[in-house]
Amino acid sequence: MSTPMPSPPITSVTRQLSRRSVFEALLHRSPISRADLAKVTSLSKQTMSEVIDAFEQQGLVRPVGRTSGNVGRTAVLYELSPEGGHVLGIDLGARRLTVALADIAGRVLAEADEPTDSRGGAWTLDQIARLSDRLARDNHTHPSRIRSIVMATPGVVNPKSGAIEMAPNITGLDHLNVVGLLGEKLGSPVVLENDINLALLGEIWHGCAQNVDNVAFLALGSGVGLGLYVNGRLVRGENGAAGEIGYLPIGGDPLQAESRLQGCLEYQIGANGVVRRYREAGGSDVDSERQVFERAQAGDPIAAYVVEETARLTALAAAAVIATVDPQLLVLGGSVGARPDFADKVARVLLQLSARPVEIRTSTLGRRAGVVGALSVALRRLHDEFFGVAELAMALPLPPPAHRNARQ
Amino acid sequence: MTRETAYCFAADLGGTKLAAAIADARGGIVAELTEPTDRRGAAYVAEQIAACADKLAQTVGIEVTRARHVMVGIPGAIDPRTGRVSLTPNIAGLEDFDVLGFLRDRFGPDVAIENDVNLAMLGEHALGCASHCRNAAFLALGTGAGLGLLIDDKLFRGARGSAGEIADLPIGRDPTSQIPSASGTFELEVGSLAIVDRYRRQGGTAAATVRDIFRLLEQGDEVAASVLDTTARWVALAVVTLQSLLDLELIVFGGSIGVRPELYERVRRTLPALFSRPITIAPSRLGDRAGLIGAAWAAGQALRQNPEPA
Repeated sequence: MSTPMPSPPITSVTRQLSRRSVFEALLHRSPISRADLAKVTSLSKQTMSEVIDAFEQQGLVRPVGRTSGNVGRTAVLYELSPEGGHVLGIDLGARRLTVALADIAGRVLAEADEPTDSRGGAWTLDQIARLSDRLARDNHTHPSRIRSIVMATPGVVNPKSGAIEMAPNITGLDHLNVVGLLGEKLGSPVVLENDINLALLGEIWHGCAQNVDNVAFLALGSGVGLGLYVNGRLVRGENGAAGEIGYLPIGGDPLQAESRLQGCLEYQIGANGVVRRYREAGGSDVDSERQVFERAQAGDPIAAYVVEETARLTALAAAAVIATVDPQLLVLGGSVGARPDFADKVARVLLQLSARPVEIRTSTLGRRAGVVGALSVALRRLHDEFFGVAELAMALPLPPPAHRNARQ
Repeated sequence: MTRETAYCFAADLGGTKLAAAIADARGGIVAELTEPTDRRGAAYVAEQIAACADKLAQTVGIEVTRARHVMVGIPGAIDPRTGRVSLTPNIAGLEDFDVLGFLRDRFGPDVAIENDVNLAMLGEHALGCASHCRNAAFLALGTGAGLGLLIDDKLFRGARGSAGEIADLPIGRDPTSQIPSASGTFELEVGSLAIVDRYRRQGGTAAATVRDIFRLLEQGDEVAASVLDTTARWVALAVVTLQSLLDLELIVFGGSIGVRPELYERVRRTLPALFSRPITIAPSRLGDRAGLIGAAWAAGQALRQNPEPA
């Protein structure tokens, strides 16, 4: 009888890959037994036991019951433990601040939102910290359990100063080190990302753009912006300014001073533009673009005209996007863009304009899109921190939204 | 047994002329020729491409079968999933003709087709003025308007292969106030027919082609200058559109009209008033050979990635 072959030494990369594939299987197939984990990952039973034991010690997995097989012994079923680590998503909007907490498995545990402190600057940062702390406390999550934080913000983050620039609707953040100060207040590094890019990633994870490779997200609200997602990646451009479609030469005279400063298109169809055009057309005083839309629905002909014109200009911008980047799907989002009545108008004009019609959907996450996208990036970063393998520069796929059923 | 040196065959098919080349394994052109495109339509054009390969092989003194990797530039959109060609008004019957199938019958399996402006972009990226860029565009202005895009160091083709089909960019007269037409809006302002038409409408008399207008400009013709000013303004608006959408490092101007300094210098002067951040534009360094050079380079790259006969 021959002696058993010694098992090959487990190198550190092999070990990393084993851990990663077991985690991926748990992420997508929980609850699952050790035997099934071994089958799915093609790892030996011995390696599987080692990995699961280590995960249990780390608090990453927990037993949740037993298989109910009718023959032979039953097996323990495992799932990722909510104690494995938490992530925080923040969406700093000009009008509303939203925070959300999720566990390592991508289960959204809690969300909270309130109007953004209009005083801006340090007040806004304090508000973000206060709301985040409250959410964690209400959910019995110690701040130290929060391992990854991502915040959606309008404008562009200056990588040197940590300030938020080109965000005219939020005051006082262009001279503060937002990245540094917020990291101190929250006790953990914070990653900032453009709000429209994150809203797009939110729609791809939990919203209307799941399993689509090539998506353009056109957001219309206070301002106007575009997110582009192609073959699994965001298109950012040379200086991170891709998608700044407020500057499209559409809707007005691009040589006008306002066009050059604020952007020709945004000057017309941003929230202030809608209100201004309503007044210029003879409409009575309104506080916000929302009121213009409400009046249009109530039969105010001037408001209806302004809304039609806004839809027409939005369709022209969409036509420029379609001609240039040929998306598979165009998502309309933002507080104005996601209104179904508005999207219908845009689609109608676009049908006249474009020889190559593209499927249009309205955002299904609405104003949650940004915070859900922030969670998705925070999760990827956490997974990468735990299970990243230098030789494998690819992020783990996130679990589908079915996991939200576990929401408390 | 000695292995024979491998070669590539490259072609750039245009509405008026067909350029073709035999290239070495690195994609460097060894011999090339240009002929007028066969006017009788797609099947004849396909035969013409094959005949060019035969002629060039003879010139170089090799069997044509040694050109194993083949890349042909097509003036239209190519669906990446089906290989179907569309938006090719300049070559009759091309949309219903299986170009790829025909070429594979003649040359074997290592044949690819690619949008011609995409190949020009690749050419400038490999050997021209965009060699340092990760995000750039090749704006081709001539009979029509087309765009090749390089995003994050890769060609950007779009979901259906029609990224950069900018003929119908909503730039120019307001397209929503018009009856929809088959041709696009931007092209209706800057295509060669539009430029000649604009010259006539402004009272010019002596021009039948855009080339005539450039000649008249040299002689101090004021109408010609005004026509080019207007054309340059529409082109500048397209440049601003591209920059807003994609934040590019460089936009290369090519095509018979795009490479003319009389045009792109006018565009360059217009840009600062239209956009608050700087936009860099430059004329194509490879000129009207950009597409052919890009095709040869791409065929050479395919050969390097797959050196064994399939």
